[in-house]
Amino acid sequence: MNARGQAASRRGAPARWWRAHRWALGQSLLRLRERPLGTALTVAVMGLALALPLSFYLVQVNLDRFGQVLGAQQALNVFLKQDQTQAQATALARTLRADPAVATVTLRSPAAGLSELAALQGFGPALAALPDNPLPWVLVLRPRATAALAAVSTLATQLRGNSAVALVQDQGPFRARLDALTDFGRRVMQVLGALLALAAVLVVGASVRSDIQSRADEIHVLQLVGASAAFVRRPYLYAGLGLGLLSGVAAVILVLMLEVALAAPAAQLDASWGGRLGFAALSVTPLLVLLACAAMLGWLGARIASARHLAAGEPN
Amino acid sequence: MIRFEQVSKRYPGNANALETLSFALAPAEMAFVTGHSGAGKSTLLKLIGLLERPSQGAVTVAGRNLAQVRRRGIAQHRRMVGMVFQDHHLLLDRSVQANVELPLVVAGVPAEERAKRARAAMEKVGLGGMEQRLPVRLSTGEQQRVGIARAIVARPAVLLADEPTGNLDPQLAVEIMGLFAEFQSIGTTVLVATHDLFLIKRIRKRVLVLDHGRLVDDVSATEVAA
Ligand SMILES: Nc1ncnc2c1ncn2[C@@H]1O[C@H](COP(=O)(O)OP(=O)(O)OP(=O)(O)O)[C@@H](O)[C@H]1O
Ligand SMILES: [Mg+2]
Repeated sequence: MNARGQAASRRGAPARWWRAHRWALGQSLLRLRERPLGTALTVAVMGLALALPLSFYLVQVNLDRFGQVLGAQQALNVFLKQDQTQAQATALARTLRADPAVATVTLRSPAAGLSELAALQGFGPALAALPDNPLPWVLVLRPRATAALAAVSTLATQLRGNSAVALVQDQGPFRARLDALTDFGRRVMQVLGALLALAAVLVVGASVRSDIQSRADEIHVLQLVGASAAFVRRPYLYAGLGLGLLSGVAAVILVLMLEVALAAPAAQLDASWGGRLGFAALSVTPLLVLLACAAMLGWLGARIASARHLAAGEPN
Repeated sequence: MIRFEQVSKRYPGNANALETLSFALAPAEMAFVTGHSGAGKSTLLKLIGLLERPSQGAVTVAGRNLAQVRRRGIAQHRRMVGMVFQDHHLLLDRSVQANVELPLVVAGVPAEERAKRARAAMEKVGLGGMEQRLPVRLSTGEQQRVGIARAIVARPAVLLADEPTGNLDPQLAVEIMGLFAEFQSIGTTVLVATHDLFLIKRIRKRVLVLDHGRLVDDVSATEVAA
């Protein structure tokens, strides 16, 4: 290159960078368009591979909500002995409120219990006929959402040992089973997600690799006229990125379709729980995360596929 | 500009393609390399373009010992060397213009300027009006000229041409050589491999004669007439 050309090229470095990338982008689009069937197949397979973890995630989110709804219902019902007075009940409630695992303690008087029972069961007149209120004082104890299950069950055991307490109702074991189930589900989702991500990388890698092989001559010519390895590789990386992104979009569409298909049965299930479940649709964030991951996986696949081949620019 | 010092090249499983070859070309000098088929002409040009590396000896281009040029440097080196290949090496599914523009794309030249310079180069080799044709639809001679246009379009410091006129009629061959000589006048060092003695006599430049990989004669331009 002559002196004038060199000065000009130094000045135009960012512009040159941009031109090189624009050219690569154009080439990669050309590539994807040139093989519509191959592109569509790759996108379909990779889209499916990505839609699965996303659907798992959707299920997971709702299982977690489900657990929370059930967890919120979880309360220790502490029935005091018949002989306990209001003062004693209030004192115990005060002590319990100081426990870090406890969120709230509600005191129910025997009278309140009785009227609730009367209203609920519809046999008020019969109860009213009783000479004495047979119900004890009850402490309704709600654990903090953050409290460990073990802390709550320890508390229940302690209360059972308390001489003022007649009975402790604890829904903990059910909660423990649910937690174990959601934990298991989460782990399965992570493992499958990792495997499917690997599959996605391989799918794009294979596609880009066959593209590179069918263009070996072209790559050779580019190398002969002075293209750097990065320059030669760039269109393939963009193609991988594009394939990944398209697959991500396909996966999002699939999952949205799944949501639509499940909307009616989910609403029914929710209604049978009195609307307390409130199924959640996926928010925008996980969808965007998926798109970003998909693009990255595509790029990675292309990068792996192109690394070995393009080292061949070396002379003998 | 180009210096060979005791250069030998042996391809695996063959006898030496080049044997202890030494010569030097000054900047803006033009020379022919000639010799029988298999004498080592293409090999000599490939060593300068870093398509091959010598088995022994040193090749220096523009003051740089090519043994020191590693990976990244290779692409950069090739950008200052324009090469016309014996077997064209064109992109058959791209238009003539796209092929000619390729070195400019690689060098990051803006599109408008690329088009302008590519058209000028095509004009010079007599391919005006064929910009949008595909190389597969061209005659061998026309393909060869696409390769020539591609080699000159980036105005390289060194121009290497391997049998550039093998498929051209004598008239056109002389014109192409005149074109190369023009490049010499703007400072480009030109080395042309050919066994066309008629052409060598017409153009009257220095001639390196190879025989079985050895430099057996080095005829200066003034001696060629004789
Ligand atoms: N890639 C290679 N592998 C092995 N041997 C080779 C290779 N390239 C060339 N040769 C051998 O090296 C010797 C010189 O070859 P080269 O291509 O340089 O000759 P040439 O003078 O260009 O011949 P031609 O006029 O036919 O083009 C020949 O004997 C050839 O067989
Ligand atoms: Mg040859």
